[in-house]
Amino acid sequence: MLSGFFVLILRKKKRWGDHSMDKNWVKLFFAAFLEVFWVIGLTYSYNLWTWTVTIILVIVSNYLMITTAQVLPAGTVYAVFVGLGTCGIVFADILFFGESFEWAKVFLVAVLLIGVIGLKLVTEEKREKGVEA
Amino acid sequence: MAWVILIFAGLLETFGIAMISQLSVKRNAQTIVLLILSFGSSLTLLSYSLRIVPMGIGYAIWTGIGVVGGALIGMLFFDESKDWRRMVFIAMVLSAAVGLKLVS
Repeated sequence: MLSGFFVLILRKKKRWGDHSMDKNWVKLFFAAFLEVFWVIGLTYSYNLWTWTVTIILVIVSNYLMITTAQVLPAGTVYAVFVGLGTCGIVFADILFFGESFEWAKVFLVAVLLIGVIGLKLVTEEKREKGVEA
Repeated sequence: MAWVILIFAGLLETFGIAMISQLSVKRNAQTIVLLILSFGSSLTLLSYSLRIVPMGIGYAIWTGIGVVGGALIGMLFFDESKDWRRMVFIAMVLSAAVGLKLVS
């Protein structure tokens, strides 16, 4: 099923020949990646220095998410931001903080990633005002 | 009471997402201030309610309200796509994220 999705992505790209919105998706994925670190920071920060880093990460991560939502639909952006952040935190918990590995988690992560890939496929950029193609 | 506060925190979060959309329509200081205030107060109320509501359930409900609310407001007021595939994929991301918060 997953490979079917990847075939779909490749095909769509070839047909459209347009990568302009990929930049926004990469930005969104990076925002979610940073989210993992500030969520960890909120729990484990213990002095001025660690809190400063955490707060900077909160600001940068949310700034990237909000600017992405100016180009892509905000409902989609927020779902992907929260979803991927949750995935990353589950991974970090299992790898570094001794949470138990469960197949239920792997299944849910798979469902979530299929949802994100699907959203990337069906999402169109907001058109600039007055610039109709 | 903690549950009421939790739901209110979710609604403030939804309002914050609406302000993110509003920003793309009209970029002004008022919207940015409302955006920061709504997310700030939402997180404050969330952390307050988590003193009583179990963490996993609290986060799951807060996230759920935000994602559903954000998607609905986008479709109702900001002309976002009502494509059924988009709704299915958002529902997949949402249910998996809520599920992960509940099992972790």
